Amino acid sequence: MKRVVSSIVGAVAAAAILVVSVGQPVTRAQAQQGHTMAAMTTSSTKASGLRSTLNTLFQEHIYLAAAATGAALGGREAEFKAAAAALDANSVAISKAIGSVYGQGAEDAFLPLWRKHIGMVVDYTVGVGTNDKAKQDKAVADLIGYTQDFGAFLQSANPNLPKSVVADLVKHHVVTLKEVIDAQASKDPAKAYTAVRTAAGHMQMIADPLAEAIVKQFPDKFSS
Amino acid sequence: MGERQSWRSAAAGARSGAAVALGLLVTLGESASTEQTVIIQTFQFKPTLTEVPAGTRVSFTNQDDITHTVTSGTPESPDGKFSHRLEGKGASAAVDLTKPGVYPYFCERHRSMRGEIRVK
Repeated sequence: MKRVVSSIVGAVAAAAILVVSVGQPVTRAQAQQGHTMAAMTTSSTKASGLRSTLNTLFQEHIYLAAAATGAALGGREAEFKAAAAALDANSVAISKAIGSVYGQGAEDAFLPLWRKHIGMVVDYTVGVGTNDKAKQDKAVADLIGYTQDFGAFLQSANPNLPKSVVADLVKHHVVTLKEVIDAQASKDPAKAYTAVRTAAGHMQMIADPLAEAIVKQFPDKFSS
Repeated sequence: MGERQSWRSAAAGARSGAAVALGLLVTLGESASTEQTVIIQTFQFKPTLTEVPAGTRVSFTNQDDITHTVTSGTPESPDGKFSHRLEGKGASAAVDLTKPGVYPYFCERHRSMRGEIRVK
């Protein structure tokens, strides 16, 4: 008798939980439907994987770039070399992500283009570190010009990515990274790390539309 | 659009003085016996390697929305045989190659962009 009561109590409790959870009793059919929907609702889609990968790589780019410029401005040569090597490995990984969508030729074309802006950032950092205003100005001008090249590349690869929009996004990337370097040079760690977070956060503004545009361009490739 | 028009539009698209002809190029009035096209797309010359018989006109069309150049030689050693500036999408230029040989070329603005024409 106690066993029956306890199983009734258990069943009532389970039903109560379901009712409380969804506001009204759930039929078996509804429960099965819910199970099916739960199975379909997953974060492990190819499209979300692409977006996640691009976000990770682009944010990593910021953190490693900031590590490299911080070490360079602080005169920590060994640390700079290690950070620069890791930053380049990140560049290679980004180019491979591009290549996975657009092929080896695009990957080979993208890598030197991407590395080019890192060289310009290095030039700016050297200009800041040596108080060479002319070098800083040239590096900034080169970086602004570079945004047009980068925009043209992505537009050529994917017509869903207008050159001017990409260029503006990359320009903002340049500006936010410049703020990191300036804060590092002024030896203001709080400002520098706040700027790092801002710069890293902005990369989502590039990664998300890029992923979205790629999925739109190749819907079959990212259908699951 | 005929060959001559194509050449003229290419010439119009190129910056004045950028095109250098050093005997490899026939004059505007002459026509090449065959024609081969190289497109510039996503910062690549396609095809990267072009094999043609002597006397072929090789035309280059820029499909990127940015300026590229088609400059003979390599970034380390431009040879001055030809150089065309293709300012933006749709710009084109051509070179008429009459002598057998290997003609490497590159983009002055994006030096990793390289191609080669082999004339037999």
